[in-house]
Amino acid sequence: MSSSVLKYETAASTSLLAEVTRRSGQNLQACYQCRRCAAGCPVGEETGVTPDRLIRLIVLGDREEAVNNLLVWKCVACYTCGTRCPNNIQTARITETLKQMSKEAHAKPLTPRIADFHSAFMTSTRHLGRFNEIEALAIYETKTAIKELSQGKVKAVIDEMIGQARLALDMMKKKRLHLGVDRIKARSEVQALYEKAKGR
Amino acid sequence: MTQLAYYPGCSLHSSSELYDVQCKMVFNNLGIELKEIEDWNCCGATAAAKTNDFLAVALPARNLGLATATGLSEIVIPCSSCYSRTLVSQKTLAKDPGLRDSINAELSQKIKGDIKVSSILEILVPKARSGELAAKAVKKLDGLKPACYYGCLLTRFPIDMDVPDNVENPQGMETVLKALGAAPVDWSYKTDCCGASASVNDADQSQLLMSRIFTDAVARGANCLVATCPLCQFNVDAYQAEVGKKFGIEKQLPVYFITELIGASMGLDPVEMQVDRHFVDAMGLLKELNLL
Repeated sequence: MSSSVLKYETAASTSLLAEVTRRSGQNLQACYQCRRCAAGCPVGEETGVTPDRLIRLIVLGDREEAVNNLLVWKCVACYTCGTRCPNNIQTARITETLKQMSKEAHAKPLTPRIADFHSAFMTSTRHLGRFNEIEALAIYETKTAIKELSQGKVKAVIDEMIGQARLALDMMKKKRLHLGVDRIKARSEVQALYEKAKGR
Repeated sequence: MTQLAYYPGCSLHSSSELYDVQCKMVFNNLGIELKEIEDWNCCGATAAAKTNDFLAVALPARNLGLATATGLSEIVIPCSSCYSRTLVSQKTLAKDPGLRDSINAELSQKIKGDIKVSSILEILVPKARSGELAAKAVKKLDGLKPACYYGCLLTRFPIDMDVPDNVENPQGMETVLKALGAAPVDWSYKTDCCGASASVNDADQSQLLMSRIFTDAVARGANCLVATCPLCQFNVDAYQAEVGKKFGIEKQLPVYFITELIGASMGLDPVEMQVDRHFVDAMGLLKELNLL
């Protein structure tokens, strides 16, 4: 990250900062690095980059680092950073924006499992109008297994399958596994919203 | 019977169907009929916010149109994620008429007016304060020491707005449970994230977050956790045994929906409320406290 300070270019900084500011609706320039957000961030210890540092990366115009850091992908959207920010900057909105920018640029997500899970959720919801736990999980697990097997991560795939099978069995025992398919009548209306979302 | 519009959300129609059943039973006992809105869709939850700003507003907006069409003045949404997304959609559209028109163009039931969007606590807390809740109780929740767990989305929102409870130290659940004779513990993790949206795709992270919640609840002497959000409830219930083993937390706590405890005080049948469908046994403590 230190290298970006040396490479600082006004043009790169201005364009990235303007784009993130507009899309997230957050005034990043109001950040004075007090790090209250970092103190409250529940994933900060694991991600290394905390909300204050993410803002700094964007201000410095480091597009590559701004999208490819663990905070963007592991952020749990708990909104603690924004609630505690004295300048009302909601960094969770910024991580949401950066994830969307990464997807639009067809960049490889740093943590494919997280990206693929949310994408499977949206695919299932588009299809039925409602979130279907079994369908979404099937889409997600299949995609993850194919990707990870092609990378030789056989053990990770087996562990995942055992874990999910155990949970499914547990859910079955407790009558928490819903086997019916809930679909809405006006699916075309929901799908029209999805179509409109593409053009925006 | 008062009528309220009702949005159960996908969770209450699948893995947390018990919460749907309990909400209806408890509200019915309070003289409130929950009228489920017709043909509602998924609110998009955390996934929409992470993938598409337009859908994050548009999906709950369609439900707001349907809710308005009922002619009722208030809609109650028990799931914190659905509640938050719907409320944020409503507030966003109030400030952005262009976006509202663009979404309305696709909807058969248009968004208009501003139906009041409420969590279940916004209905229950005034009834606890007025004494109405205690008047319906046939049993006291003596010996119950709950750690009230709010999670993220009841008090923290991605936009600047008024919040109906204290953001850092909410008291809604405590108010309700104290009115019924319980003794909630004071603790530090009531609004910390349990990582429900990450439990499948980033399990190590979500289990680490849960371990902190369990450790503090046990250390404070709680004999159960209480939640209003079905995503939190499922997460901290289904994974508790695994997290306990991994982090060396020996004691396991039942994770009640607040409706189960209110229902128990009202003398409603726990089996009918499906309290036997928890991962960490939740019937045992009710039996021990003579609440069955």
